[in-house]
Amino acid sequence: MAKTRSKGGSGTAAADKKSATTPKTSPSSSVYTLPAECDNRPKLFILPKSATSSARIVTLQHPRYNKPTRYLVCPEAGFFEFTSISPPKSAPRSWLIQKTGTGTAADTQITQSPALHLATPYDPLFLLLPALLCSGTNNTDQQQQQQPKKKRMFLSLDDHVDALPDLPSSHLSQLLRTCDGTRRRLEARLETVCDMVAAGDEAMYRVNETKLLRAVLEKAKKVVGDGKLPGSMEERFVRRELEAPVLGVRVGSRAVVAAVVVDDAEAADISSSGSGGTPASAGEESQESASSSVETAATSVVADEDVASAMTASEEVVKLQRLRVAFNFICSSYVAPAIAEMLKQELAKATLINFKPLDEYLERLAKLRQEAAAARTTDFSRKRAVDDEEEDERAEKRRKKEAEEKAKKTNVSRGVKNLMKVNTSGMKKMSDFFKKK
Amino acid sequence: MSQPMLSLKSEASSGETPKATPHLLPCRVHHTGSVEPVQSFWEPKVNEDGTPTAYFRGRKLLGKTAKLPEGYRGVVAVTCAAEEPSGLPEEGGVIDLEAETPQGSLQVQAEFDEMVVWAHEAAVDASADPYLRGAEEWLALAEKIHSYPSPAPEEK
Repeated sequence: MAKTRSKGGSGTAAADKKSATTPKTSPSSSVYTLPAECDNRPKLFILPKSATSSARIVTLQHPRYNKPTRYLVCPEAGFFEFTSISPPKSAPRSWLIQKTGTGTAADTQITQSPALHLATPYDPLFLLLPALLCSGTNNTDQQQQQQPKKKRMFLSLDDHVDALPDLPSSHLSQLLRTCDGTRRRLEARLETVCDMVAAGDEAMYRVNETKLLRAVLEKAKKVVGDGKLPGSMEERFVRRELEAPVLGVRVGSRAVVAAVVVDDAEAADISSSGSGGTPASAGEESQESASSSVETAATSVVADEDVASAMTASEEVVKLQRLRVAFNFICSSYVAPAIAEMLKQELAKATLINFKPLDEYLERLAKLRQEAAAARTTDFSRKRAVDDEEEDERAEKRRKKEAEEKAKKTNVSRGVKNLMKVNTSGMKKMSDFFKKK
Repeated sequence: MSQPMLSLKSEASSGETPKATPHLLPCRVHHTGSVEPVQSFWEPKVNEDGTPTAYFRGRKLLGKTAKLPEGYRGVVAVTCAAEEPSGLPEEGGVIDLEAETPQGSLQVQAEFDEMVVWAHEAAVDASADPYLRGAEEWLALAEKIHSYPSPAPEEK
């Protein structure tokens, strides 16, 4: 307790008195002692309420990455995949779990790992895809050359499962053996993408590419629905992909605008209505895009009536883009690259959906972007004359800088100000004191 | 090493699982385990405008409460490599058939239906935070991608 010996009896007496009134410990040790770390770390999950107690967390082969991945399988609710959210190292996070309920179990815990595991619904069809198609794609090259069009066999569900790339402990076959609900679920999924024959009382399946394509496309359509993709996806892959470069160029270069003459009517629509996109799709565009188009529309009005600020995608094009993004997303997350490639080729061949307007639009857009880039690089000569706005901006920046400097000057204390005039090169810096000796 | 097959188990076999609120702190704490008594350093309050506010080691934190979507529950659980071969009667068959597959369990310690994501000085941006986006966007998207007609109920 007593820190120094010289203080002697009076000091300890005082300390004793103090400790009688307030239970005070010496400042070097903490008031509380931290319990030992528990070695069994609690994890946070978000699970579906529909999962029953017979649900199991199993390890299955990821259909795209061929890695063992954790899934939650419930005979009643179906398959769920786990997605772990963990922030980048640059944003350190930890969980503090505060139990709110009854006082008896009120125990607050810290979990260093910030991971959160989400169990989201999963279509078991994707799990079976490698097995369904592997007979065609997984062969060695020699075999493929010998039989370029190898007929796929009709196989039962169990045989398909056996054909899956093997894991040391295949939980799937075990699930099938023990759980009827899961088996029926898988069979039902197979029926949607396969041709079927009945052999005795066992159904045999063979994959049908067209059916498969239709199923995946159906999924993509469902994702798009009648609205938009989720916010961040919409922003990144739809809006930015379709956004035309802003042509802040005076229409001395009318040729550029001529390239988008088709869209001139729409461009006029922008400047008159002042909202993003065509009037019909105005509601659909995200708020941000609306505001940015307003901005561009405003600049174009200022510059010249004839300046087309942007090429606007028609609603049909936007919809097609969304569909394509959704389709590619599904392919790139759940389907092995070879099968994804096959599906994309099928989609291009098939007449299920016509992506032509989108392709045409993208082609024009690429051309426009190129031209805009070219215009930007060659335009240095007259930049100064043109951009009144930029001038304003620069003046604004200068003003800000000046104000900042002024503020810096006034904040400096007199001592420091005086010291500025002195040659400090021989003096010790403050940081010297904190260096290791 | 192969991962065990896990089943979900509630720790408190009698009565319901305790409720909890997970707080996502904007810092890394190099400790895993109990931190009782917590009142002296963690006392979140709700502001007048509804944002949870707390002071953690002298820093002001603003929170954003995220409700879990409909149909989902949050669970705090620990994995146990339990070796209780005849735990449940209907499991007996499983173990007999595949003795080599390790059976474990996920002990549910607490449940939650909302979480609070904290950030320094300002509330987090829902469009940028991976937790909020994951909880809202991804769950909705995954449901759309993976929805399929469930097998006819009369077969069951």
